[in-house]
Amino acid sequence: MTGPSSPTTVSYALMWCLCCGLTLLSPRVNAEWGFDATGGFSYDDNLSNSFEADDRKGDTAAVLDVSGGWYEQLTPSTAVSVNVLAHSDTFFHYSGLSNVGVGARAQLRTKLGLGPAVPWLAVAAQGVYHNYHYDYLDGWQYAAGATLGTQLGERWSIRGTIRYDAYVADHSQPPLVPTMVGSPYDVYGWNFGAQAAFLVTTADRVSLSYTWRTGTVTSVTHPDEEIFEYSDRVAVDPVFGAGEFAYRIDANTQTIGIAWSHTLGPHTALNLVYAYRRSQAEYDLGQYYANVLSVNFIYAY
Amino acid sequence: MVYGGDAKLLPNAIVVAVPDDGRLPPPGKSVEIVDQIDKEFVPYVKAIRAGSYVRFPNKDNIAHHVYSFSPAKTFELPLYKGTPAQPVLFDKPGVIKLGCNIHDWMVGYLYVTETPYFGKSGRDGHVDLDDLPAGRYHVRIWHPRMEGTEDATVQRVELREDEPALVEWTLKLHPEYRPLRTPLPGEPGYR
Repeated sequence: MTGPSSPTTVSYALMWCLCCGLTLLSPRVNAEWGFDATGGFSYDDNLSNSFEADDRKGDTAAVLDVSGGWYEQLTPSTAVSVNVLAHSDTFFHYSGLSNVGVGARAQLRTKLGLGPAVPWLAVAAQGVYHNYHYDYLDGWQYAAGATLGTQLGERWSIRGTIRYDAYVADHSQPPLVPTMVGSPYDVYGWNFGAQAAFLVTTADRVSLSYTWRTGTVTSVTHPDEEIFEYSDRVAVDPVFGAGEFAYRIDANTQTIGIAWSHTLGPHTALNLVYAYRRSQAEYDLGQYYANVLSVNFIYAY
Repeated sequence: MVYGGDAKLLPNAIVVAVPDDGRLPPPGKSVEIVDQIDKEFVPYVKAIRAGSYVRFPNKDNIAHHVYSFSPAKTFELPLYKGTPAQPVLFDKPGVIKLGCNIHDWMVGYLYVTETPYFGKSGRDGHVDLDDLPAGRYHVRIWHPRMEGTEDATVQRVELREDEPALVEWTLKLHPEYRPLRTPLPGEPGYR
């Protein structure tokens, strides 16, 4: 794949994460070092986010997420955590999507009382720099939001989330149309979600989630004049093959997910997740949907 | 001997023997220990006599916040590391369920009894109550997951000199559900 590389941006991201790490090393009175690792596989049958059947492209990725950082209990109810994040996706077929991400996450969490059944509120923000095999996809992914949750009795728990997400690509390709400047991979949106989880057994938890997102999405299509009429950003996209174009459009996306988590030990669990994602583009351009299946193993120290 | 569901040997069951004549030696002022190790209470179940003190040393390198809402003893040890300076007095018989406000999966139990004659079953489901004076007793059992009341488990025993008596219980148990320690992928990293 060709395109401008961004070693400066990668170096900046690594330096930023290193500074976070050095800060983490300073001794804290009530601080705890933590480490999480999640590894597994994920299959998405519509990675290209396309609504034409011929344009829908699916693939499987080997996924690895590692986070490490410190967690400090500020008061009996409130804790802050800062973690360095590392992520990788290795796609089996569409290698242009393979990427490595490095970033950081900060969270403030407070319990509104004493005991396991009181509500809690968490506010979090994160930034991750992704370096893709296809260089024009390189960029920063940001997210910030708030989650309110509570335990209901012994077996049920619920939570609601509001989150803003944005992706800012490093570079734009030369515009196909002089009036269209900017990368079609720059997207942003507001997410509103809810989740309910139930302990089926003492070691098995099933959760059901729903998220509604409003914002912009990137879709890939064969040459189609209609996209130039309704999209503000269009670019050649060789990731899914020659002659494909990526375009950005406003859309509302609904995602329903079901997950099963099986505890293997005090620090380990096996997870199976299925998500159905459906986007309705504006201007009645169409709907595109995807089925995503993931299986992974998690270790939490 | 204590059995649970499917006739499996049951650990962590507290067996208590109370003399029928009600005569009990005076309580001492013992100091017992319940540790916090790897974000769990150790031991999970502990029996003590009413009037005993308990220390809650935190052997982890992070803070814990121990509390109980149980009617027999409501207390809080907010956010500490190491060992709190003062132990907690448990002067009323009953069951005290322990929790940590930071790590919601942490659960432990203190069983406070009026009699000095008690023991806890090990992995072999076996409890030995040694040095019991000869006489008549009513013995009962308690387990954190047992269905029904302790009073329903009472058995009467007549103990003769140098003659051990064997008592057996088979308990029906309900599951104990706790928040899982491991987060779902993508969850806020609270542990």
